[in-house]
Amino acid sequence: MAGFGEVAEALRRATVEVRLPESRGGGSGVIWESDGLVLTNSHVARAERLQVDLWDGRHYEGRVTARDPRRDVAAIRIAARDLPAVAAGDSSALRPGELVIAIGSPLGFSGALSTGVVHSVGPIAGMGRASWIRASVRLAPGNSGGPLADALGRVVGLNTAIVNGLGVALPANAAARLVRDGSPPMLGVTLQPVQSGLLVLGVDPRGAAAASSLRAGDILLGSYEELGDALDAGDEVLRLRFLRGDARRVREAYVRLVPRAEAA
Amino acid sequence: MANELAALSDELAAVVERTKRYVAAVDARPRFYSSGVFWRPGVIVTAEHTIRREEEISVTLADGAQVAASLAGRDPSTDIAVLKVEDSAHEAIPKAGGPPKPGQIALNLGRSPDSGVNATMGIVSAVGGEWRTWRGGRLDHYIRLDLTVYPGSSGGAVVNTAGEALGISTSVLSRIAALAIPTGSVDRVVDEILARGRVTRGYLGVGLQRVELPDHQRGLIVLSLEPEGPGARAGLLIGDILVALGGVPVAETDDIQGLLETHGVGSGIEAELVRGGTARKLTITVGERPRRN
Repeated sequence: MAGFGEVAEALRRATVEVRLPESRGGGSGVIWESDGLVLTNSHVARAERLQVDLWDGRHYEGRVTARDPRRDVAAIRIAARDLPAVAAGDSSALRPGELVIAIGSPLGFSGALSTGVVHSVGPIAGMGRASWIRASVRLAPGNSGGPLADALGRVVGLNTAIVNGLGVALPANAAARLVRDGSPPMLGVTLQPVQSGLLVLGVDPRGAAAASSLRAGDILLGSYEELGDALDAGDEVLRLRFLRGDARRVREAYVRLVPRAEAA
Repeated sequence: MANELAALSDELAAVVERTKRYVAAVDARPRFYSSGVFWRPGVIVTAEHTIRREEEISVTLADGAQVAASLAGRDPSTDIAVLKVEDSAHEAIPKAGGPPKPGQIALNLGRSPDSGVNATMGIVSAVGGEWRTWRGGRLDHYIRLDLTVYPGSSGGAVVNTAGEALGISTSVLSRIAALAIPTGSVDRVVDEILARGRVTRGYLGVGLQRVELPDHQRGLIVLSLEPEGPGARAGLLIGDILVALGGVPVAETDDIQGLLETHGVGSGIEAELVRGGTARKLTITVGERPRRN
């Protein structure tokens, strides 16, 4: 029977620090599979190649193999075996009031632990329709990408943000989906909500939208949520309605979505 | 694999599961919801400071139904507002027998329409006797909580591990911690609001400051008088030193507040005072404190 100390220590050993090359930024991550698969937040893994520091002081170079910016999760592969991986819990079974443990490197303190309870599970205004875990655990910058675990040490979420003082975590089931299915289809555009829709700030030349007629400065009609639903619908070709210059003339663009790649 | 922590975790989640049906989300201010508790059948109690409009208030119940609520009354002094809903069959939350003990585990339960019930956990960090809030209200006990009451959860249910209410949570009665408004005080305010639509508080219309008299007796000197107020009408003058009210010696302004709670609006109260070195007696008819807006 594992006590609290053992549970915390096992989690600490499965938590990594993720660093960007030549930058002070970084965050935490969690060893998901013992053969070198690490999960973190997409906003932590801002580069395609990163440094991953293990609890015992070993450093590895990691490569991003899959990412989902909408759910803020990325998979990193490091060349290591027999790592202390976590056990994943079923985040759909979480109940408000359950005890949770968060581990990470807040403000540069490696392996720092905080405890609390699940506050609520559900959508958050401004963060789409999908469900997030809110927990009353004390988090700080640097906790991002680290594990949120239940009383048995099973990882139920990845700590992702702090909203109104509450910790917000991506449910583990959503993180597992990235590992199982690979990167979801992406448009490859940077958007900003404006009154009439979503303003295209930039189009990634390597992204799916680059081959369409969409350009920076166009305004996509609809909301983030509607765009998210369209991407999740699983169609190969996405029809987008947008405005360019003339606010009365609705134009159309067709984007061929890249199918999901394996998160090997 | 099971451990004591997991057993505690299960127990806490079970308390939330059992108690969540008594907790409603209250929509009575812009941007943030607040929370409220079925205190009696058809009666929801919430934190007064979260009520920013008196009409078009709605509440979201545990089953997700959104229903209209009417404001029965509000008492800023204890931070209690009382709402009424049509659903008079809805059961009220069970209340704990006595005041909690410091160190006891407490949960605060709130609700939001998007994500349902929410919970934070901590301990009761201090319990004191009767306490006057900075807004002038009297609480039966001072119950300080070491748990976070997030913006949407003010007015929620503070419960023990048996799921019994210890009170209603508020973040505005103390600068240093969240408090639970004790169940007895909530009952008293609810009774008064349901009977009269408001909480009346006695009023003398005097500004007082404590002074020490040459014989080491303490008293309260009248510094200001509300024109045509109860004190002025009874013949009280600026410079009078109040030494007893209703036969009880008064040394602090708090003493006056306490006495006015037992002498209702409209009743006469005997004031003993010193004027120019001579003892005098006057009878003041207690008025009602004007409502601030």
